[in-house]
Amino acid sequence: MNGYGGQILRVNLTTGKITKEATPPDVVRDFIGGRGFGAYFLFKEIPRGADPLGAANKLIISSGPLSGLMIPGAGKCDFTTKSPLTGGYASASMGGHFTAEIKYAGLDSIILEGISPKPVYLFIDDDKVELRDAADLWGKGTIAVEKHFKEKLGEEFQVAVIGPGGENGVSYACINHDFGRQAGRGGVGTVMGVKKVKAIVIHGTKSISVADVAAYRKAGMALYKACKDAEGLKDWTRYGTTIVTSWCDEVGALPTRNFSAGSFEGGKGLYGQTMREKIVITDKGCFGCPSPCGKYSRSKKYNINVEGPEYETIGLMGSNLGIDDIEAVAQANLLCDDLGIDTISAGNAIGWAMECYEKGILTKKDTDGLELKFGNIEATFELIEKIARREGFGALLADGVKRASQKVGQGSEKFAIHVKGMEQSAYATHNATAMLLAYMTCDVGAHHNRSWAITYDLQVGRDKVVPEKVARVIWLQNFRPMFDVLGACRLQWVELGIDRDLYCPALEAITGVHRTWEDLEKVGARIWNLTRLYWARENEGFGRQWDMPSPRFYEEAPKTGATKGQITRFEDVNTLLDMYYEQRGWTTDGLPAPATLEQLGLAELIT
Amino acid sequence: MSATLRPSGALRSYIGGKDEIAVEAGHTVRETLSALNIPPEVIALVVVNEQQQSKDYVIQEGDVVRVLAVIGGG
Repeated sequence: MNGYGGQILRVNLTTGKITKEATPPDVVRDFIGGRGFGAYFLFKEIPRGADPLGAANKLIISSGPLSGLMIPGAGKCDFTTKSPLTGGYASASMGGHFTAEIKYAGLDSIILEGISPKPVYLFIDDDKVELRDAADLWGKGTIAVEKHFKEKLGEEFQVAVIGPGGENGVSYACINHDFGRQAGRGGVGTVMGVKKVKAIVIHGTKSISVADVAAYRKAGMALYKACKDAEGLKDWTRYGTTIVTSWCDEVGALPTRNFSAGSFEGGKGLYGQTMREKIVITDKGCFGCPSPCGKYSRSKKYNINVEGPEYETIGLMGSNLGIDDIEAVAQANLLCDDLGIDTISAGNAIGWAMECYEKGILTKKDTDGLELKFGNIEATFELIEKIARREGFGALLADGVKRASQKVGQGSEKFAIHVKGMEQSAYATHNATAMLLAYMTCDVGAHHNRSWAITYDLQVGRDKVVPEKVARVIWLQNFRPMFDVLGACRLQWVELGIDRDLYCPALEAITGVHRTWEDLEKVGARIWNLTRLYWARENEGFGRQWDMPSPRFYEEAPKTGATKGQITRFEDVNTLLDMYYEQRGWTTDGLPAPATLEQLGLAELIT
Repeated sequence: MSATLRPSGALRSYIGGKDEIAVEAGHTVRETLSALNIPPEVIALVVVNEQQQSKDYVIQEGDVVRVLAVIGGG
């Protein structure tokens, strides 16, 4: 099958049985790869009601048809599972070089099933696949373990590894790779930890067949040329995602003190320009990337080297905690990476705890003596360690901000910033209705990368509630995640603004299948609806109430900053959902209508 | 009296898909953007003659002004 490894690797950790099967052509046709494969296997294979932390849950790791080929940023790997954080669909995308090796080993997906009786790592070297003892690695940090494998096996092996956070069942544990890339969200690392898989190491030497080599070369070169010629290449490369930090501060989107405001008086200390001058050493890219957004940094203050921080970490571990020191954010970043927990969820949870402390809901008696005031850097470091090890007060935050606030009560649920149990990423949405809707309806919870619509709010009027905004959110939700399906990075389109139509000839040359963006967006809609059905199947009573945002965005206007006094009206929140459901072809309670499922070719699949 | 404005990526749609446009010196970057119907709020970075500037920078004759937006997002 052109463009594909051609096989699915299935590893039953309970029995130790390892099998391979041909990648199903009908799944390729309807779901293409990457995130699409993840959604399909999740829905079809994980039994209804499976415990996310039980043997019935699976971890599905998938490459896409562009992965590992001469396409800009074709290093995206999807990790899908039933989320231990939300109880619904989790899909996390990881950059780096791992996904290329999946393809070179002749694979498209790796499916981990069951639970190993003891710590293991999965070793893949072309057709040699083994579960090996990892007892001596259990408990170690991700950086030491990756270094261990690089030294033991060679630089050509790529490593995906969990840290103590995943081993200890932190609900938002991540999977680390390439000393600073993560499959970060939804607890994919938690599931790997429950399965007692410390790491996956992989190396392959096989070729990937393409349908038309000359056309592939031409289309690939056209994509690279577009990136090279892009006006913004130099600046995006210089700053990476941190370019938006000052912009977010300016427009009131920078999460500040647990999202109570969108501008931070100490923001300048965190700006991309400050970071570049103070700590950045060099740039770092993923597989085949012409515009490396990764930044290697060195903090003299903490005597550390780290990849990052990128914008999300700056927002959540910086301004959201009242911290204005980029070096402190870098140190928090390194701690989270090494311990294997998601910086977004961790920063959000710590921000909630700090607000509880400042309001007197929590005291030093509750926090193991930590003075959890906003801006307390040392307490932040200590709390990150406690979360990852589930020690004392850290155990409360390790379950995520939704569960923590339900336990603590006293009104703290109102400032727990999440949707569906997933902590909101780094865009404050007090007065940005399209972005708020994007968070409300995102398929994994409050995550930004499916539909990043905040600029559209600024272009058409941030408090406007109009069908065009809803249509924009839906279009982005169908379109942007397709990069995760194809196995390539979206940032060349997002940041450099290259023509997305350049991807279609490349995809056709590689796979031999002609698909337009209209075709691809239909696949995006199919996946979106399938995962919506998954949420409903797994959660009794699932519906509109699950799409509601934190009351902070419709009850409490910021007292400072660019969005001072601004807020989204509660009736507008409901109007947004009404319009969204209607445009999606869903019922008034947010469930896909039979006609919609029929139109998307899902009616048969779900029976 | 003129300078050159080079918008990046999707911003080019505001100037008919062109790579650059001549603009009058003597106005701020913010004013210049507004005159072209480019919302200044969407601009994340202003670089003039390879030096970063604010949107309140007054454009001088011969300047090459690059503006980056965050249209696509993170």
